Amino acid sequence: MAKKILRCTVNGRQIELAVAPNQTLVQVLRDELNLTGTKVGCDMGTCGCCTVHINGKAKLSCLTLALECQGAQITTIEGLNQYELHPLQKAFAEKGGSQCGFCTPGFIMKSAALLAENPAPSREEIAAGLSGNLCRCTGYVKIYDAVEQAAQEMQRAEAPAPAPART
Amino acid sequence: MGYDYIRPASLEQALSLAAQGESALIAGGTDLLVALHKKKRPAPGRLISIRSLPELAGIRDEGARLRIGAAVPLADLLAHPAQARLPALAKALGVMGSRQIRNVATLGGTLCNASPGADAAPPLLALGAGVELAGPAGRRTLDLAEFFRGPGRTALQPGEIMTAVLVPWPGAGTQSHFLRRSRVAMDIATVSLAACFGLTNNRLSGVRLAAGAVAPVPLRLRATETFLEGKALTDETLAEAAKLARADVAPISDLRGTAWYRRELVGVFLARALRAGNGGKP
Ligand SMILES: Cc1cc2nc3c(=O)[nH]c(=O)nc-3n(C[C@H](O)[C@H](O)[C@H](O)COP(=O)(O)OP(=O)(O)OC[C@H]3O[C@@H](n4cnc5c(N)ncnc54)[C@H](O)[C@@H]3O)c2cc1C
Repeated sequence: MAKKILRCTVNGRQIELAVAPNQTLVQVLRDELNLTGTKVGCDMGTCGCCTVHINGKAKLSCLTLALECQGAQITTIEGLNQYELHPLQKAFAEKGGSQCGFCTPGFIMKSAALLAENPAPSREEIAAGLSGNLCRCTGYVKIYDAVEQAAQEMQRAEAPAPAPART
Repeated sequence: MGYDYIRPASLEQALSLAAQGESALIAGGTDLLVALHKKKRPAPGRLISIRSLPELAGIRDEGARLRIGAAVPLADLLAHPAQARLPALAKALGVMGSRQIRNVATLGGTLCNASPGADAAPPLLALGAGVELAGPAGRRTLDLAEFFRGPGRTALQPGEIMTAVLVPWPGAGTQSHFLRRSRVAMDIATVSLAACFGLTNNRLSGVRLAAGAVAPVPLRLRATETFLEGKALTDETLAEAAKLARADVAPISDLRGTAWYRRELVGVFLARALRAGNGGKP
């Protein structure tokens, strides 16, 4: 089937690309744009490995046709923080939230969306929030630890600097 | 898999494209794309994207009822203040897939997909919901109970598009409950049941029951409803009602459970839902 032009923004960059109507977003990201951080696990919506942000919302790039993203703002793991590690990336590394690493980009993108909505989630809210992402290595405990640590760090960074002590 | 893709700007355009045949509608795509990728459904000539149609968007309180645009993502509905008045529906939507799925999956999509186990169906049936359809012959509304015709089959005529789901507000004092059993998280229900009823001085009124995954379509448990109307909520009533409910359904055995287990569970869920009306645990 004839290709069509897709115009959208990926990680802050304007993209203009001819894509086939049946190409999914993850195929375009990985095969056309070389953004291979986003993984394909089950390719049917159950594992969460392909999670990216589309207009700020966590969505599955394996169940999104690329052409549905006309005009959209897309963020992948590569664009989460372009200059230094995002607090979530740092916390996943420090807490051992990543072992084989295949599910990690999906978990981090999902966690970032969770923290944007709920900056101080409880342990239960983290578990419920991440329930659409599967990990076969960690047993999840270290992933929840990492999200908790990142949430705390991000809140500290957000908090206004303490007023200078008066003498 | 070589289909074309087109995103019409208005319902009118979508209807005239759909009338040309050879096409399939795509809303969230969570049922459709999985079926296409796994080749469980032949590829259509083209997909008509309806998820951004303004006529299928928005959630509106129309006084006596709530009008939910067919293409509203489930997550938007769950974030809307109206969900607090429809607890059984909110509970069912909350267990559908993951947040990533709920960010795109639509209410119209799950109803038109017509899976016997669709979680949203029993609460909507028990709430007495209707659906609004637009097609070449104009608009019509239909009771949701008339809409399901078989697994994957609906009352939609060729070229028709579901535009909205209409949910009458439950009367004051109406309770609603939703119970569900599945093997693991993110799996289709083995059995689900929704119940709406009033309970004053231990007497039941306005009883509406519906179950999922226990027949070729999600269905109302009519004989059980009729029996329960006006009855006192006693152990004997519950036992008789459970018996009737087991006879109201026609389950099959599959990898998720046997027909016997499903029948049994319908009775158990019904008793739990009614007991919850008296402060019991659902
Ligand atoms: C990983 C995963 C987990 C899931 N978990 C659950 C679950 O726990 N419980 C559950 O009930 N479901 C579940 N589902 C199924 C699915 O997410 C829901 O049924 C969803 O609401 C479908 O909506 P959609 O907008 O994605 O439909 P689509 O896939 O876009 O459409 C489904 C069908 O309906 C037709 N259609 C869509 N909208 C209209 C309309 N307005 N008018 C006419 N026809 C229309 C389409 O042509 C298609 O045939 C899951 C799916 C996945 C992939």
